[in-house]
Order: sequence, then structure tokens, then C-alpha cells
Amino acid sequence: MKTIDIKIKVNGVERNLSVASNQLLVNLLRGELNLIGTKDACGSGECGACTVIVNGKSVLSCLTLACECDGAVITTIEGLASEENKLHPIQEAFMEAGAVQCGFCTPGMILSAKYLLDTTPSPSEEQIQEGLAGNICRCTGYKKIFDAVKIAAKALDNK
Amino acid sequence: MKEFTGIGQNAPHIEAKDKVLGRAIYAYDFKLAGMLVGRFLRSPHAHAKIIKIDTTKAQALKGVYAVITREDTFKIKYGSNSYFFPFTDDQYPLATDKVRYLGEEVAAVAAESEEIAEAAIKLIEVEYEVLPAVFDAEEAMKPGAPMIQNKRNNVAIMIPAVFGDAEKAFAESDHIVEAEFRLPSQAHVCLEPHVAVAKYEEGKYTLWASTQAPFRIRENLAKTLKVEQKDIRVIKLQVGGGFGGKLEMLPLDYCACVLAKKANRPVKFSLSREEEFIYTRRKHPMVFKLKGGAKKDGTLTALAGSVIADGGAYCSYGPTVVAASIMRIGMSYKFQHCQIYGYRVYTNNPISGAIRGFGGVQSGFAFESLMDLLAQKVGMDPVEFHLKNATDPNFTAANGMEITTNGLKDCIRIASERINWKKLKYEKREGYGIGIGIAADVMGSKMYKSHESAGTIIRVEEDGSVILLTGAADTGQGSDTTMAQIAAQELGINLSRIRVIAADTENTPFDTGSFASRVTFISGNATKRAAVDAREQIDAIVAKKWNIPVTQLRREGEMIFDKENDYNRMTFMEAVKLCYSFDVGKMILGRGVYNPPTKPVDLRNGQGNVSAGYSFEAQIVYLRVNKDTGRVKILKIVDAHDIGKAINPMAVEGQIEGSVVMGLGYSFYEDLKFKDGKGLNPNLTNYRVPHSTDIPQMESILFETNDKEGPYGAKGMAESALLPTAAAIANAIYDAVGVRLTEVPFTPEKILKALKEKSQAS
Repeated sequence: MKTIDIKIKVNGVERNLSVASNQLLVNLLRGELNLIGTKDACGSGECGACTVIVNGKSVLSCLTLACECDGAVITTIEGLASEENKLHPIQEAFMEAGAVQCGFCTPGMILSAKYLLDTTPSPSEEQIQEGLAGNICRCTGYKKIFDAVKIAAKALDNK
Repeated sequence: MKEFTGIGQNAPHIEAKDKVLGRAIYAYDFKLAGMLVGRFLRSPHAHAKIIKIDTTKAQALKGVYAVITREDTFKIKYGSNSYFFPFTDDQYPLATDKVRYLGEEVAAVAAESEEIAEAAIKLIEVEYEVLPAVFDAEEAMKPGAPMIQNKRNNVAIMIPAVFGDAEKAFAESDHIVEAEFRLPSQAHVCLEPHVAVAKYEEGKYTLWASTQAPFRIRENLAKTLKVEQKDIRVIKLQVGGGFGGKLEMLPLDYCACVLAKKANRPVKFSLSREEEFIYTRRKHPMVFKLKGGAKKDGTLTALAGSVIADGGAYCSYGPTVVAASIMRIGMSYKFQHCQIYGYRVYTNNPISGAIRGFGGVQSGFAFESLMDLLAQKVGMDPVEFHLKNATDPNFTAANGMEITTNGLKDCIRIASERINWKKLKYEKREGYGIGIGIAADVMGSKMYKSHESAGTIIRVEEDGSVILLTGAADTGQGSDTTMAQIAAQELGINLSRIRVIAADTENTPFDTGSFASRVTFISGNATKRAAVDAREQIDAIVAKKWNIPVTQLRREGEMIFDKENDYNRMTFMEAVKLCYSFDVGKMILGRGVYNPPTKPVDLRNGQGNVSAGYSFEAQIVYLRVNKDTGRVKILKIVDAHDIGKAINPMAVEGQIEGSVVMGLGYSFYEDLKFKDGKGLNPNLTNYRVPHSTDIPQMESILFETNDKEGPYGAKGMAESALLPTAAAIANAIYDAVGVRLTEVPFTPEKILKALKEKSQAS
């Protein structure tokens, strides 16, 4: 298998990597970079658990080749909190609202929420539903996740 | 100042921080040095004798460490209903004599990489003698159908719910309705797939599994590996959802162990999404043929009929699922005559088993649709009809089920008031396809083995922190948090002092697992007893120091006071220091066990008492049917729920909302389809689950009846909210457009077809 040299910035850290031309971003993150917060629950872009932010956009890392990311700035769930005890307001809100049950969808859900709030700071109920439409949660029934996004939107607005 | 998060206060899950930071470890994430990849060879036939398996070429492939077949096993069958139905132990963890469904595990490999494991699988040669197969439960019961497990008519078990004299009661009824209801299979769709990581060292197996019931896996591993339970340790990490699908030992648990021993390296199996859908467990498709009778005044007189459940190739939890589906109805309504027979039938489909609701989702749809039909026949408002027949507190049902606290009538009233039933039902504009429907149900069960025990140990450490050891398996529902809240309440301490160590068969007390909405009730009682034990030890020491009786102590916040002398006061931390002081020197170790008082079910008639506390709920759905497209828009769902007491209200709501949405998915589109035993939609594109854009306005009302047996009055509740959903929707669709849907899911095609038939008939 052909390997390709890439340079990426993951959670603020520059990395020079050599990746197989068919390597998926999710496998690079979970494997070599040991960023296991990114989940892969379907392998076909249907569940959203592998969502990460690449160059400011939410991306399904199970459908993205690592080599496509040369030069990219990537944020995974591990890169969201500024320091260990200082959670991002979206992370705080997910806890506070009871939006976390099994937690397997949570990293992807939080990153989709981040992308939504980055692009739509005060989303309507409908915009929240649309913004999270690519992320499946089987536990919560979504209601408390919507609550969390509203709480986070307010908190970010007050910043 | 106040961080105390005891009973009745909202508490985020104690592990939620790890989950939002992405650092929570699931079995899916778990790695060991030198770990190999496990893969299965699955049967290409739905029913065949295995003549010969040749693994020579696979074993010779570079990077393959072990290949196993039936010859590497002890050929011991296992099952999940061994105590009540020992004859239903019918599955080999690796196919041995025959394969009975398409995809059954025939061989397994452990290799260095996924690619090598998959290549090795293709090199295994199996010779089969293909046998005739049967895929429909009713066909399977006919004479001459292929025999799957050497059971007459392929009936694995017949379970009766028979009491009173139904025939006589029907003769004396003013109204009788008869109907047939059909329900398809549903998949659990846990986001984390089934995962098993095993290692073997000096006669001992250690398994890290994504499971709801580590102690049950241990039991069946010991049986099939022919070792003592002490030689197996099963550890649960964070679990990405269970919903009943992770209650049993599956072939991956067993094969990971066998391969780890043979390869002398750790082995990990992690199922693909497609494997999750077809080759784990699924909901029993069921057909109900029911007859119900009522008096002119609306009194329900009798129920009769049959249930045929497509169990697939092996029994799994089938017998108790069928039992639970037919025994519950007598707890909700006080009729005295019943004659229902439940048949759990073998087919060559994949295995049906436990899934949230445990048969109650299917029966909930059938029975509650029948209730609506009866109300209509009697000419009574459905809410009134429910209230007329609903059971009361301290009621012994005709089948012997002993109901203590019972908020069913209150829930029906509260839900109908909250949604404004009368106005929405009787003042609506006709012709707009708007309708409203009600359904109710009950939950509560114990059907495991001779005992249903749970245990908790509480260690109060020198530094004032508390370690709570419980066997209860949190799969995301929040049981670790609930246990911690109970301990915080009883010890009078902040929740943050408590660390929970759970569900490790070697280091925590026994617990049967997370199923039947039992954990808060049963494990919660054990935890309460352990916390009381620990608190009493501390109290005795503090009271002795102040030279007062323990009854004179009072707790508030983290302070302990003498009720009669304000100068006597100390913090919890000071009390702990006192316990561990030179003069006292007493380690604080609390211990609690609990086994609920129940009565065994007589399997000849279904009489008994399966639970020490039943929870009830009523659900009302308000919706609009688009008569041109057949699409249904839910306008509002109200669920009023007798949960006894909400220990963590936010978590209780989360369970109700999650349940209702799972019920919505089943009502409208979730339909796991098979043709000739082959899965037709084993992916999230063709098997749709609810997304964020599908969520209607939902309201959950927590009604507290303060149960006498439950910890702080709490009862189990996590499954029940999806039991009435499909019926409430079908009843509302009937109210809206006058068509009675008797087959789930309610697709636009079915609704349009029913509307067309109705217009042709009129």
C-alpha cells in the first residue's frame, strides 16, 4: 500500500505523519493518535458518532481519508476543553441538561452542536433539530440534547 | 455551598464528565498488548447439517494464531432461562451438529490484523448437507414442517395465562370483539456494538465485555468452558447502550476465551453494524389472535386467544419474553377470566430474545388496541373505559400478581387532564385527520433464577471518601449515579465523595444484571441497606463520644448534630476521623443484600407474583394523519408515569423520553426484515431509527406513589414508557381517520391502503 506524508494540526498539536493512501481519518485518530473519544458506530456515515471538526467544518471521519487532510486543522472531542478542569460550555451543558446517557454518541453529538453554534449562534428549535440530524442517539430521545444546545447557546452568547 | 445530591435531586451521571471529554473507556476502546483480532465464519445456509470442517489452509496463513471449530469446544449447550426452563438450553456457542439460521457461527479465527482474519475465514472449508428450512412461525407449527430442534410442531414452549372461566364469561358478556395483531422484529441498535476482549493466563479467563449482565456471562462461560466460576472474571467497562441486547453470553464472548487460550494471546471481537443487526438478538415478531368481552356498562369480563412468537433458531430469553407478554394484562385491568396461550416457536430465522419491554411492547399494542375496540363497541369514551377497568392499589390480580402501590388510575386522569382530552377529542374539527388515543401498561418482573439478589459494599475511607461496590451494570441509564445518590442520602454526604466500582465479577458483589427495570428497585435496596449499615456504625461511635443514644442524632448537610445539645456537632469528616482514631480504631464497612419477596409462577396456568413492585403508566397521543400521503404527524405525547419515587428526576425523564422515542421508531418505521432467513435491511440507511428531526413535543409527568418496598419509594421504570406507544398511536389514528391499524409499523402505504379500503367499503 502506498503511503503519503501529511502534516496536520490536531487539537493544537502539529503532526507530521505517514499514512496509507486508504487509511480513514477515524482509524488514524483512534489508532496512531490514540484519540479514542471519536467513535465509529456504523462505518458508513449513517450514525455521526465519528464526527470531528476539520478546518472549521463538521466532517464524518469514517468517510474521510486521512491523506485528504494534509494541511488541515482538526478538532476532536479531546481538543474541546481548554484544560482538564475547564470544560467547553457545550460539554458543561450536556452534563447539566442530562443529555448524556450511554455517551457513545456524545463526542460526535457535541462536535455537531459546536459546528451548529459556530455557524448559528442562536439556533431555533428547528435549526437545532436540523443541525443534529446526522447524529443518532438511541438513549435519550434527543429532548435533553436539544435542551443542552439551548443552554450552551446562551452560555456562549454571554461570553 | 450545597452540592449534596441525594434523593429527588437532579444529578448528572457521575461518569458524564469522562463521556463529554471523550475519555470514557468502553470495551470498544479497550486494548491489550499483543491483542489479536477475532472473526467468525458464519453459515451460508439457514438450516444444514455440518458434515466436515477443514481449517488446514486457514491455519497455515501467516499471521493467523488460532482457528477454532466445534472440535475445540466441549459441545455443551447453554441458554438463558436455565432455572425455570432447563430444557430450553439449546444453543452451542459454536455450531456443532447443525446450523439453524443463516449466519450462525461455525468457526472463528484469531489473527494479527482484520485483513488477515478475514482472509483466513475465507480459507476455511465446510461441507454442509442442506436441510429444508422454515421461516414463518405459523408455518413451522404445521405438521410436516422441517424439524429445527426436535420439538413437536417446533413449539419450544407453550405458556398459558389461564384463570377463571373465560367461556362462561363470554357467554355472559354483552359485547365481544375479536382481532388479530401482527408485530415485526425490532433491533436494539446500541451505538456501541457487542465487544469481547479475552485473555487467558494459567487456567484463568478474563473477559472485558460490553454487557448488561457480567455475572450471567460468567455463569454461562463457566458452563460451556467447563471451568469453575472462580476461573472466570468478567469486567464491564462503560457500555454504549444495551436495551436488552447485551444480557446474554453470545458466541463472541465464548470464542474470544477459547481463542485466547489456544493462541496464547489476548483476542478481541468487535461486531460490525451488520452483525449487530442480524446475528445478535432481536425482538420477537408476534401474532396475537385475541377475543375480549365486556358488559354494557363497560366492565371488562374476559380475554382469550393466542400469541405466536417467532423465536428463530434458539430459545435465548424467549420463554420468559412470551410469559411476560401474556401475564401482564391482569395487572392493569381487573377482569377475572382469561384463557390465553403463548407459543414460542422455532424457525430458521435469527434468534429472537430480550429487548426493552421484554414482550410487553408487542402485547401492549395488541391488548391496548383491543381495549380501544371494546370501548368503541360498548360506546364508551376510551379514557372512561380505562378508568372503569383499571386496577387499584393493594389489589391481587386474578392471576395472583400482588399489586401494592398503583398509580394507574391517577396516571390516566393526569395524562388526560394535562393534554385536555375532552376538548381535543370532542371539540376537534372533523375532516382534518386529527385524532387522540390512549393506552396504558405495567412493568415489573423477576424471572432469573432461584434468587434475584443484589449486593452492595460501602467503604468509608480514612480520607472521608466513600467507595461503593455494586454488581449493578450501568449501561448508560445512570444506575451508578442512582446508587451513589442513595448512599449520599443515607450517609448525609455530598455525592462527589462517592466513587462507584461496578460490575466486575471478581471485585464487586453479585448482581443479576440490568434488565426488567430492576436495578433501582433491587440493587437500590441493597445499596440502601449497605449505606444504613455504614451510617449506623458511624452513628454508634459518634453517639458514644457524646454519651447519648443514637436516636438523638440528627444530620443536615454534611453535619451531625445532637438534637438536644447545640454544642455537640461535628462534620462527616470529623466523624470519620473519630472512627479511625487511636481510641476507636474502627474501619467503616457497610454491607447490604436484597432479594425481592415474590412468588414463583406456576407454569401450568401462569399464576404467581413476579415482582415486589409494579410501575404503571398512561400515554396519550395527539396526532394528525395526512389523508393524501398517509403520513402521520405527532402533535403531542403525554406520558404520566407511576415511578414510585424519582431518585434522580432528570434521569427518570431521560428514560421515559428515550423509551417513547424507541416506541415511535417501532410504530412508524423500525422493521427488521428477513427473506428466507436473510437480513434485508441490516444497516442504518435501510433500517431507520429516530433522528433528531423526528422528535415531537413530549411531556413526561412523574407521579410518585412512594412504594413501601422500593428504596425511598422508588419503583423500576426504564422500559415501560414504550409499551403503550404503538397502541396509543393506532388508537389516535383510528380516532383521526376511522381506520384500525392492526399491523406495526404504521407506514404511509398501510395507512393509504386502509383509507382506500374504508372509502371503497362505504
